[in-house]
Amino acid sequence: MSQHGIARSTRVRTEEQKLLEIERIKKYRALEDQVRSRASRTDYTAELFHLTSQLLRLNPEYYTTWNVRRRCLISSLLSKPSPGSSLSRASPSSSPAATPTRPSASSSSSSSTAIPPSPGSPTAGTSGTTAEAGQTKDAEILTSELTFTIPLLIDSPKCYWIWNYRLWILQQIIERLPIAAARQVWEDELGLASKMLNKDRRNFHAWGYRRQVVEKLESAVLEGQSMVEPEFAYTDKMIRTDLSNFSAWHRRSKLIPRLLDERRADDASRRAFLDKELALIREALNVGPEDQSLWYYHQYLVLNLVTTAGRPTIAPALATEDRVTYLTRELVDIKDLLEDYVGVKLIYEALMEYTMYMCQLEERKPDADERAQLIEWLRQLKKLDPMRKGRWEDAERDYGLAEPRFTIT
Amino acid sequence: MAGTASALPDELGLVASAHVRYIQSLDTRKDEYEYWLTEHLRLNGLYWGLTALYLLGRPDALPRDKTIDFVLSCQHENGGFGAAPGHDAHMLSTVSAVQILALIDAFDELEARGKGKAQVGKYIAGLQNRQTGTFAGDEWGEEDTRFLYGAFNALSLLGLLDLVDVGRAVDHIVSCANFDGGYGSGPGAESHAAQIFTCVAALAIADRKDLIDKARLGAWLSERQITGGGLNGRPEKKEDVCYSWWVLSSLEMIGKTDWIDKDSLIAFILRCQDPERGGISDRPGDMVDVWHTLFGITGLSLLGYEGLEPVDEVYCLPKSTIARVLGDERF
Repeated sequence: MSQHGIARSTRVRTEEQKLLEIERIKKYRALEDQVRSRASRTDYTAELFHLTSQLLRLNPEYYTTWNVRRRCLISSLLSKPSPGSSLSRASPSSSPAATPTRPSASSSSSSSTAIPPSPGSPTAGTSGTTAEAGQTKDAEILTSELTFTIPLLIDSPKCYWIWNYRLWILQQIIERLPIAAARQVWEDELGLASKMLNKDRRNFHAWGYRRQVVEKLESAVLEGQSMVEPEFAYTDKMIRTDLSNFSAWHRRSKLIPRLLDERRADDASRRAFLDKELALIREALNVGPEDQSLWYYHQYLVLNLVTTAGRPTIAPALATEDRVTYLTRELVDIKDLLEDYVGVKLIYEALMEYTMYMCQLEERKPDADERAQLIEWLRQLKKLDPMRKGRWEDAERDYGLAEPRFTIT
Repeated sequence: MAGTASALPDELGLVASAHVRYIQSLDTRKDEYEYWLTEHLRLNGLYWGLTALYLLGRPDALPRDKTIDFVLSCQHENGGFGAAPGHDAHMLSTVSAVQILALIDAFDELEARGKGKAQVGKYIAGLQNRQTGTFAGDEWGEEDTRFLYGAFNALSLLGLLDLVDVGRAVDHIVSCANFDGGYGSGPGAESHAAQIFTCVAALAIADRKDLIDKARLGAWLSERQITGGGLNGRPEKKEDVCYSWWVLSSLEMIGKTDWIDKDSLIAFILRCQDPERGGISDRPGDMVDVWHTLFGITGLSLLGYEGLEPVDEVYCLPKSTIARVLGDERF
């Protein structure tokens, strides 16, 4: 989409370099022309399919080429869906070749990684050998597509089109293969998501992909069941590798309400869970109070104590006085951080915000001590964080802490 | 990395005429491989470049008639637009087409020589998932709040928002909200400044900004400014000029641009310019491109930088365009 992080060069191309580039353009455009002219004739054959492989390796952002590739698969390479199946209803509107053409004999996509469907699956073998052969071939082609996209993803891990294409292939696998075989392929995708997240722990494409894969694995379509426990354990692993990985903390925050529900956690175990999470993040904050990721997760836990509106919370049965006790403990601990760390503005920000939460919980205004503290913390914030001066001034006004001034009315 | 940047004079201003020349040069680079590799972004690129030119006060810098011809040459029978002739129709390029035609006041040409507004509206509306309210990018079904915003943007410019289920789309946005006040690309996704822009702007178009947790979102957005003045898109990430737009426009829509330091952001954007050849990059010293050039300029415009036309924070078009197209319909 755009140039990210590529150093500006003032280099002028030599004549030789220019010629080489023109040669490169010629080859690229010749390939592109072949793909386009065949596609415009709706000539969705194995040959065109192979041309798209070449073009996509040169340019994985070329979304139309991914679409041409899909149309080749639907029109000629994959077996024809049986009437009444979801596939026969799903012919893409703008595909001029929605009428399937002859099954191409030359279409076998050679791949050593193809996984044949499991012979014992419930849907295989019910309608004779032709259907079985079709399924085996489909399995080969589709798994080969998964293999094809891996090096492209590794080179372009933020390219939306590759991720989408892969999900589309996985959907074809569900629609064309026996459930057991399809499930195996989808389970393997978790490995890919993990691999991509090991390369870049914050890649939101990979996190999103993981979420979609898990949702499907949990669904009835793949005869799945909840994966909330292993997914929660995965966030544990990612956080322990890198405490600063907010993507993992975020995912954790989304899993927790479900996790507790599915564990059928009673009030005591919900409380114990909250204690454990608070201990985990407290420990992390003790060594990294400059890290925003940690404070956001801490905020998530604290919000569970103070707001209930419309959201599932960790320990809904806590009485107000228990909530106050929890919040007091957090405030005491955060104040302790001030002794070890000088000049960390995030500490003051948390103190200020949580003190206001305390007042909200107790449905009161700040008392004299709190007022004095808030004034002091805001003074520190303005000093340590002048970039957000406007925000601190608004807080001062909203909390009623501004010095009384003469005003002209 | 900052080598080039520190060599720039501190008082470097906006090199407007270099940026105009840079944008004008974009379609003449046919001897560069990159030109051909980016054809799938041609229509988007035209929108980015043209909007930047309008904000720079140079609407005449690209020929209007050729622009119209090119835009219409990208349209398909179904009403949707592809990124260039021969490219499949997609929500992203369709939105760019509508934005360009709004910008150059050429909806009448769409009626006369194109497939007409109604057909464009039908194409976009057909991409709504009527169960969840969100939108797909094209017939292959990828869903993302980017497409929802795009649909709202284009349909409202065309006066055809009533073709879709706005209420359900709004419910979908609400389901993308996170505890930190931000929004992700879908339910469960991490808050991300660009997705926040799409969700907040879509809510603005639907006149439902009341659903936003403004204090918490404002706090999160303001924390995107890091040492050096630039903005990042998520916690603990690097700064990037494009977030000058995503973060700042979102702050503008919730009335909290005062929560960041405008002067240091202006200075950061200006440091990302290529003062000789024009264009703006993601960070000082990197390669420029038209995308960062637009979002550097829109950022500066929102910051009230002298000599730039005011940009509309919801539509990412000049305010004068929005006033002309929407008139009194704008709430």
